[in-house]
Amino acid sequence: MNEQPLHHLDTLRARQPRFRGLESGHRACQGCGEALAARLTTEAAGPDVVVANATGCLEVFTTPWPQSAWRLPWIHSVFGNTAAVAAGMEAALKQQGRATQVLAFAGDGGTFDIGFQALSGMMERGHDVLFVCFDNEAYMNTGVQRSGSTPHAAMTTTSPPGELRMGKRHMKKDILSIIAAHHIPYAATASVAYPSDLRKKVRRAMDTEGASFLQIHSPCPLGWGHEGAKTIEVARLAVQTGLFPVIEMERGELIGTLPIREPRPVSDYLKLQNRFRHLFASEYRARKELEHLQAIANRNIERFELRGIGSEAYDTEGADTVHRGGDRWA
Amino acid sequence: MIQIPPGAFARPGTSLEFKTGTWRVERPVHQRRAAPCHSACPAGEDAQAYLAKVELGDMRGAWETVVAANPLPAITGRVCHHPCESACNRAQYDESITIHGVERFLGDEALRQGWSYPVPIPGAEAPRMAVVGSGPAGLAAAYHLLRGGCQVTLIEAMPAAGGTVRTAIPHYRLPPDVLEQELDHMLALPGLDFRLRTQLGRDVSLEELRADHEAVFLGPGRRKGREWSADFAVPGNLRTGLQLLEAWVAGGTLPEQPRSVAIVGGGNTAVDLARVLRREGVEQVHLISHQRIPAPGVPDDDAMRATYREVSQALEEGVTIHEHRGVRRLILRGERVVGMELVHMKKLEDAGGRLRRVAFEGTETVLHVDQVIPAIGQDVDGTGFESLVRRGYMEVEPWWGTVNGQSGIFSGGDARSDHGTVSEAVGDGRRAAAAMLRYRAGRQLEPGVPPEPIPYSDLNLSYFETAPASKEPVLPPEQRLGLEEIEGGLQANAVRHEAHRCLSCGDCLACDNCWTLCPDQSVLKTREVAADGSHYVFDYDYCKGCGICAHECPTGYIHMIPE
Amino acid sequence: MALALEGSQALARTVALCRPQVVAAYPITPQTHIVEGIAKLVADGQLACEMVSVESEHSAASVALGAAAAGSRAYTASASQGILLMAEVLFDISGLRIPLVMTCANRALSGPLNIWNDQQDSMSMRDSGWIQLYCATNQEAVDTTVQAFRIAERCELPVMVCVDGFTLTHTLEPLELPSAEQVDAFLPAYTFRHGLDPSDPRSLGTLVGPEHFSEVRHAHHQAMMSAQTAIEQADADWADVVGRHCGGLVESRGDPEARLGILTLGSVLGTLEDAMDSDPELPRARFIKLRSFRPFPADALRKACEGLDHLIVLERALSPGAGGIVGPEVQTAVIEMAEPPRVHNYAAGLGGRDLSLDLYSRIVQAAVGAERPREFAIIDADPELLPESDR
Ligand SMILES: Cc1cc2nc3c(=O)[nH]c(=O)nc-3n(C[C@H](O)[C@H](O)[C@H](O)COP(=O)(O)OP(=O)(O)OC[C@H]3O[C@@H](n4cnc5c(N)ncnc54)[C@H](O)[C@@H]3O)c2cc1C
Ligand SMILES: Cc1ncc(C[n+]2csc(CCOP(=O)(O)OP(=O)(O)O)c2C)c(N)n1
Ligand code: SF4
Ligand code: SF4
Ligand code: SF4
Ligand SMILES: [Mg+2]
Repeated sequence: MNEQPLHHLDTLRARQPRFRGLESGHRACQGCGEALAARLTTEAAGPDVVVANATGCLEVFTTPWPQSAWRLPWIHSVFGNTAAVAAGMEAALKQQGRATQVLAFAGDGGTFDIGFQALSGMMERGHDVLFVCFDNEAYMNTGVQRSGSTPHAAMTTTSPPGELRMGKRHMKKDILSIIAAHHIPYAATASVAYPSDLRKKVRRAMDTEGASFLQIHSPCPLGWGHEGAKTIEVARLAVQTGLFPVIEMERGELIGTLPIREPRPVSDYLKLQNRFRHLFASEYRARKELEHLQAIANRNIERFELRGIGSEAYDTEGADTVHRGGDRWA
Repeated sequence: MIQIPPGAFARPGTSLEFKTGTWRVERPVHQRRAAPCHSACPAGEDAQAYLAKVELGDMRGAWETVVAANPLPAITGRVCHHPCESACNRAQYDESITIHGVERFLGDEALRQGWSYPVPIPGAEAPRMAVVGSGPAGLAAAYHLLRGGCQVTLIEAMPAAGGTVRTAIPHYRLPPDVLEQELDHMLALPGLDFRLRTQLGRDVSLEELRADHEAVFLGPGRRKGREWSADFAVPGNLRTGLQLLEAWVAGGTLPEQPRSVAIVGGGNTAVDLARVLRREGVEQVHLISHQRIPAPGVPDDDAMRATYREVSQALEEGVTIHEHRGVRRLILRGERVVGMELVHMKKLEDAGGRLRRVAFEGTETVLHVDQVIPAIGQDVDGTGFESLVRRGYMEVEPWWGTVNGQSGIFSGGDARSDHGTVSEAVGDGRRAAAAMLRYRAGRQLEPGVPPEPIPYSDLNLSYFETAPASKEPVLPPEQRLGLEEIEGGLQANAVRHEAHRCLSCGDCLACDNCWTLCPDQSVLKTREVAADGSHYVFDYDYCKGCGICAHECPTGYIHMIPE
Repeated sequence: MALALEGSQALARTVALCRPQVVAAYPITPQTHIVEGIAKLVADGQLACEMVSVESEHSAASVALGAAAAGSRAYTASASQGILLMAEVLFDISGLRIPLVMTCANRALSGPLNIWNDQQDSMSMRDSGWIQLYCATNQEAVDTTVQAFRIAERCELPVMVCVDGFTLTHTLEPLELPSAEQVDAFLPAYTFRHGLDPSDPRSLGTLVGPEHFSEVRHAHHQAMMSAQTAIEQADADWADVVGRHCGGLVESRGDPEARLGILTLGSVLGTLEDAMDSDPELPRARFIKLRSFRPFPADALRKACEGLDHLIVLERALSPGAGGIVGPEVQTAVIEMAEPPRVHNYAAGLGGRDLSLDLYSRIVQAAVGAERPREFAIIDADPELLPESDR
């Protein structure tokens, strides 16, 4: 083992040409998509922000006292009140005449379910807050229970498959439509598989005055049952199959999508994850649910007109092209 | 001891106290792996490495990378059959990189700009080495010996350097000024004692060479026309293909003006001669080959030895090729050949697993022509070193080129049975030079292994975009009349486009992917070059070993190894 | 200058004098008039403040929390169900040691639904880690509110000012409002040492494991205990400014020679005082006004109880299945005295039931002369209204 001398790494770390909002040493699982999403979000948001964070994995793995992985002012209050805490911070900063921007972070549970009311109120009142939902499609921190965001047919500890069930009976809540109904200036979805797009959306949301919302699809290797190394691949496939549409809305109107160049069959995505394993049994109900999920993807593609028209620089294949020297487009 | 503040708030970035690196069971490491283009290049050029420099705009650096292996890129960029491109991973994605176009551009650019070879001037006490033959094999050996700090005596029987490349390759494929300039450039290197019209076995003996030099490289090529060993009557005055071609290349004329000709053979000589004959107005030119027209999917041992490009251009130019055909007998009128009887044949494995030519009874046809030219190959002219030649070839250890049973004598290029191209000759000269240096230093010559290329499946292609390859301009067949070069070069922007298309197989692209996608902020970026040559450092104090970086590295440069 | 003002309006104007930068509230009777009053002041440009009309009390408390953490003086008010809905956040606010002031317009809890006054709501937050100050009059409510901001910010603890719903909030009483200069002189600009600040980015609300949790709780408890000094100090300093005080932690009133004491929280005191004054025949009592319920001022209480034979603890809340809430705590405190009084514990006036003047004689008769302390009872409950089995 040829370890690098430490002092060298310390100075190197301090000199990284990007803002390190989320520092090393946090305790997320190996390959955690949520940790990556939070890292990308905070480095795009920059240091002049304050963050309110809901209870959940992100909160727990970043701040086991006396340590904190954050390098920005950050507060965790409880599970369901994040949008309200953020609203309070925003009101305070506004009164103080400070330009510091306010972010709210929550998991899908803290967004779709328990935190929804506060979120709705915050948006309705038009606080200048960017609410970021790290969507890992279940209550991960408490051990993978289903949430309003868990996709149809997925296995969780509270939606187990069995003789009578094929995983979650209900659909994934269409949160963005609900958000859109609040008529806020900017709402979007993003994925850790498309970091440039994600960062661009964070900046765009921060530049927007008023409430904005960003839902980031963030695979959870533990809860979804895939290798930590495949987090990005899984996230990419969610987008490329149409199961997770990447879209942008202004005032509730669709203004942009990440077009899918060549839609992949949903099974390409599902088969990488243990939470969908029961859908690959050779039985009628498994085949039926697989087709059901394919139909959901098809409907997403239709509804948001996700089907691309040939090769484009900004589509599911082109949006994350790399170049020598690392000059990503955002 | 740490004391708890009101409400137990924490200080920023204090998570650094917690070393998550202890969780790891596998660690990512940077591991440069040979790109297929590199592995496939017989001369040993690392196309990936110089394409990277081209992309950065460092043309001179790129050329220096080329000539670290091959001193003659303006030549090989034109005449090499570029197996690098057949091996190029990008071929499986859309189209391979036009590597030879880039190589040619760099070679030409070096001549235009007068860039000097990065070769040291040997001191007076530098070791002396001898090289016989100034074909590509000999030139490469001499060059690499100079690079290695030796003084070199290079002897050449003919009045000019270049070997078969000069004598036989037609000017429309390799313009003489390019050849001249690149050879002059190389031969001007200090420390090189180049003696023309000096033939081993006539002007100097092997023993004399050995006495004055620490080691000897023999690159005589194969220049002695082979007997047409057929079980039918062959007139004694038949001119061989190589003789005719060399006469034409030297003087631009042919002794006869037949209407129809059949050339027997499927190698470079046969094909080039066929094309020359068409240029000289011969109406029907037939090529008779045991093998097939080389094409993707045709196994190597069933394909004509001439390159695909040459053969297809010959076809464009109106040459008729008879594949899988053998000569049963010549039809003579007196001493004059007026035709031949052909038969379908094919190589088949016999009971012992060896390939044998089998002629198929009842498939005979007759072809009437004015002239028949055998172009069936040459042997080494071993005058003066007869004992080293067996069955027309030099038998050598395949990697280092040590002549079997000898010490201090090395060989390569066409002189060995299995090589027949310029780039193979260059590679042989290069490895032999390395062997000679080791030999002199008394070092063991462990058997060399070609680097294992990184397979296509080890790349992550989600990060690339399709883009058509730049192709060089080619003269349309109807304009290919004179000596004008058929293939033009790539323009600088096309060269850069190709470099940009390169997938950087097995080598860091500095794309920032690992830096961008590590959830643990454990890939750090450096301005300087890190110890492993990349611009990234893993911080193993925190890296949890999730493997995202390795999985998402587009170039397969990151490996996970067990702790 | 004495003004005749509804309690809620007086409180709205007092809060405004304290210059909160963020006020968040959700309507609930009987708190509503207070925040309506503040909203109007904001609307009229008389108070520079973000008035955040949230969608729930959970959010009201959360907005206040966020604002205070981000460096602004913040205020909220609620009652009853609203307090319960806030509960989760209230514990969090105090645990994070965030200085905040809220008014609890005391009201009964559902179910069954009842919108009238008792103190079950604030009592249910007894263990939330908030300072709780109970007000006997609207004047006290005004003065306590000003003091509360200073106490909260000095101690880095939240303060709940408990004001009886309707009885105080909706009652017109003549009172003195302090002037802006008086408040400004008394109350320094808001500071929060460990707030959210991009130039010193702390993380608040961490995860604290078993290795440190007891110490965190210990520190919180200690801060609450030490707050007693701050409460007394604030009252004394405020008295220097306005010439009135609210009785510090515990105040003794009535007949100092009496061997009988009656301990109350909030406005019921006035009723009992009136009752005693209305009939000279009645036994005399010393009234002990417990102003600070949290922190619980055991020392001050014992001092106030010196010389008593009987101490009646009259509450407006209860812990069903056990009895009183304040009573047992008082009992625990006085038992340490050389000659402790006998403690009698009753509840009365639940859900807004009128406290009639004869309540005084009923509790005194029940207590005095009893061999043993009578069992806890809701003393004004009418058994006739209940089926046999429930009497
Ligand atoms: C018509 C034709 C076309 C070809 N086209 C291509 C092509 O397009 N691409 C390609 O890659 N290859 C091509 N080749 C093959 C290529 O030319 C040879 O593989 C290559 O030149 C071999 O190099 P070499 O140095 O081993 O031998 P040579 O090039 O043959 O050089 C040998 C040299 O040694 C000298 N020599 C020999 N004996 C002695 C001695 N005793 N003393 C001193 N000097 C001596 C000779 O005079 C000669 O100069 C072609 C060959 C022919 C005939
Ligand atoms: C009021 C309340 N109910 C339940 C919990 C337990 N709890 C903590 S985190 C969590 C799940 C978080 O899920 P999500 O918001 O999706 O975040 P994730 O952990 O998946 O990132 C739950 C149920 C809680 N802390 N508070
Ligand atoms: S459980 Fe999932 S979301 Fe939570 S830390 Fe692990 S990988 Fe991340
Ligand atoms: S893509 Fe580039 S590195 Fe890879 S084989 Fe082709 S030329 Fe070589
Ligand atoms: S991901 Fe990109 S930057 Fe990182 S090692 Fe691979 S090629 Fe280099
Ligand atoms: Mg979740």
